[in-house]
Amino acid sequence: MKRRRFLRDAAGAGLALGSGLASLSAAPPLPGRDSDLSRVEAKYYRKLPDREIECLLCPRLCRLGDRERGYCGVRENVGGTYITLVYGKVCSFNVDPIEKKPFFHFLPGTPALSVATVGCNVNCKFCQNWEISQVRPEQVAHRDMSPEAVARAAAEVRYPSIAYTYTEPTVFIEYMMDTAAAARKRNVRSVVVTGGHINPEPLRDLLEAVDAVKVDLKGFTQDFYTKYVRGELRPVLDAIRAVGRSPAWLEIVYLVIPTLNDREALIRKMAGWVRDEVGTDVPVHFSRFMPMYLLKNLPPTPVSTLERAREAALDEGLKFVYVGNVPGHPAENTFCPGCGQTVIERAGYRVRETHIEKGRCDKCGETIAGVWT
Amino acid sequence: MGASRVVIVRAPGLWTSSSGCADPSAVTNMFRRGFALLTGEKSDRQALSTVFRPDDRVGIKVNTLGGKVLTTGPDVSLPLAAWLAANGLQEQNLIVWDRTNRELREAGYRLSSGRGGPRVFGTDAEGAGYAPELVAHLSVGSLFSRIQTDLVTASVSLAVLKDHGLAGVTAGMKNYFGAIHNPNKYHDSRCDPFVAEVFDAPPVKPKHRVSILDALVVQYHRGPSFHPQWAEPFGGLIFSLDPVAADTVGREVIERLRAAKGLPSLAEEGREPAYLATAERMGLGRADPGGIEIIEERLP
Repeated sequence: MKRRRFLRDAAGAGLALGSGLASLSAAPPLPGRDSDLSRVEAKYYRKLPDREIECLLCPRLCRLGDRERGYCGVRENVGGTYITLVYGKVCSFNVDPIEKKPFFHFLPGTPALSVATVGCNVNCKFCQNWEISQVRPEQVAHRDMSPEAVARAAAEVRYPSIAYTYTEPTVFIEYMMDTAAAARKRNVRSVVVTGGHINPEPLRDLLEAVDAVKVDLKGFTQDFYTKYVRGELRPVLDAIRAVGRSPAWLEIVYLVIPTLNDREALIRKMAGWVRDEVGTDVPVHFSRFMPMYLLKNLPPTPVSTLERAREAALDEGLKFVYVGNVPGHPAENTFCPGCGQTVIERAGYRVRETHIEKGRCDKCGETIAGVWT
Repeated sequence: MGASRVVIVRAPGLWTSSSGCADPSAVTNMFRRGFALLTGEKSDRQALSTVFRPDDRVGIKVNTLGGKVLTTGPDVSLPLAAWLAANGLQEQNLIVWDRTNRELREAGYRLSSGRGGPRVFGTDAEGAGYAPELVAHLSVGSLFSRIQTDLVTASVSLAVLKDHGLAGVTAGMKNYFGAIHNPNKYHDSRCDPFVAEVFDAPPVKPKHRVSILDALVVQYHRGPSFHPQWAEPFGGLIFSLDPVAADTVGREVIERLRAAKGLPSLAEEGREPAYLATAERMGLGRADPGGIEIIEERLP
């Protein structure tokens, strides 16, 4: 996967010296890089006696003493006040096709200004971006960008949306919500790419601020979430349900990992749950796994497995089911559930042709669910 | 196989009245006695030669998370470095280190690149950083500090002994959480099996030589943050070549203090340090008190 980070891991970049002590002595230690972390008070926590706090942002409910950080590594108890260390500290800043998130039914063919800070509240063994998600803010170089600066950057070049992505936006929720508010004033929309490991109250607030949410449903058993995600499945399902019942547009990605979460019965169960809980119009993307991070012992997902998963989900009644991370695959296209016409033809992340007019198939008039303008 | 020896040296009168810090000569005496009792060797030099090679580059991993108050301070680590240098190791081969320069400074250290004295710096210092290769070991996946992977050949865990809200206790083994880039990811499940697995990882276990628990002030309740009402001036250092036995005895010290103050045991609070049994099962040392020989000595 191509990641265009404008800044690389500063710790890695600093390894100019040899490994011997003699060479180290040539370069006296510099001041720590943590001096410019943000000190903005976090939301979603409660104070406890003896300067302790309990974080209420995600299902972990980290209980922290003074000077301790949560599981995410980016929120710290400082003398009984909980602060976010990453407010406005952008480690990745790119322009991506919105299809890369992926959103296939939300402003297709448009660019999304994509931002991230470091941090994540789970630890997936197959993480694609672990060098920025599974680190602490001191360990990665960042750029200071106020919410207003991000919104202005998108508006000035007429990007229709800002995507909070690459890492886990939940952990920088304060920055995300302020940026989304600034963007909305400029008619720029906000889309979130998340694992959905978030508590109901912050999610409720977030859904008032943003326009679309893509949830990575990483498996469909608690056992999988325990072993490979280090998180809880139930809150993720609750989050999907909450997004599905909100005005925000919802899409779901299911990364299919050979032998771990690819059984057809499981896929059918998941698809049936989506159908029953959030409806058949919600797009589901079956993405191809590539070995990386801590899960290198498995092969890439066979394309045939993804195709079988897609067939099973369609059979369960879902209308828009895609195959992802397989450039050029026909199932990247959107087909009209009424007449079967290709209504959006894609080539990788590019949209080549669209046959949707005012939200309907231009051949048969069938409504195609999505946000098209 | 004989019992694992753990030495507790206490010197209740070690604090200077003027600064409130430990008196360096008293601390040096504690190291001298500790190593002598630990190794059975009479001379300082002989005692150290059983633990280190003369050309070893020795990392003294301190724990400065607790700020100035509850930390392995320079009043403990620098006398150790000086004593090592006076007895066969080369001063320029000694590094006192932790995660960040900021934490070291806040703990009272003056950063040093080694001109006249040991080097003192954090992993975030220029020229250090984390090794680029991800170490995947059992359920741990981490980048390790280059200080641990590349710069040192031998490692001393000089850790503050504290109660820990999740792990039960934090001592010599968990001190190596400060050698990885993502310790926040290893605090669920009471830090178990992560404490044992980080220690067992290739950058740590082969280099670890001795655990020394800084028990001058012991936070026996509501740690690892500092709470003065539950901090005891224990005035001790705890030594062992067996990392699990050292932590086990550290845990017993905490339990003793808790009992003396009328507090429930860690097990009664649901905070049994599960990592000790895990570490023993992994063959890292002894957690069974029956397999540990404790030698306790009180200095004036």
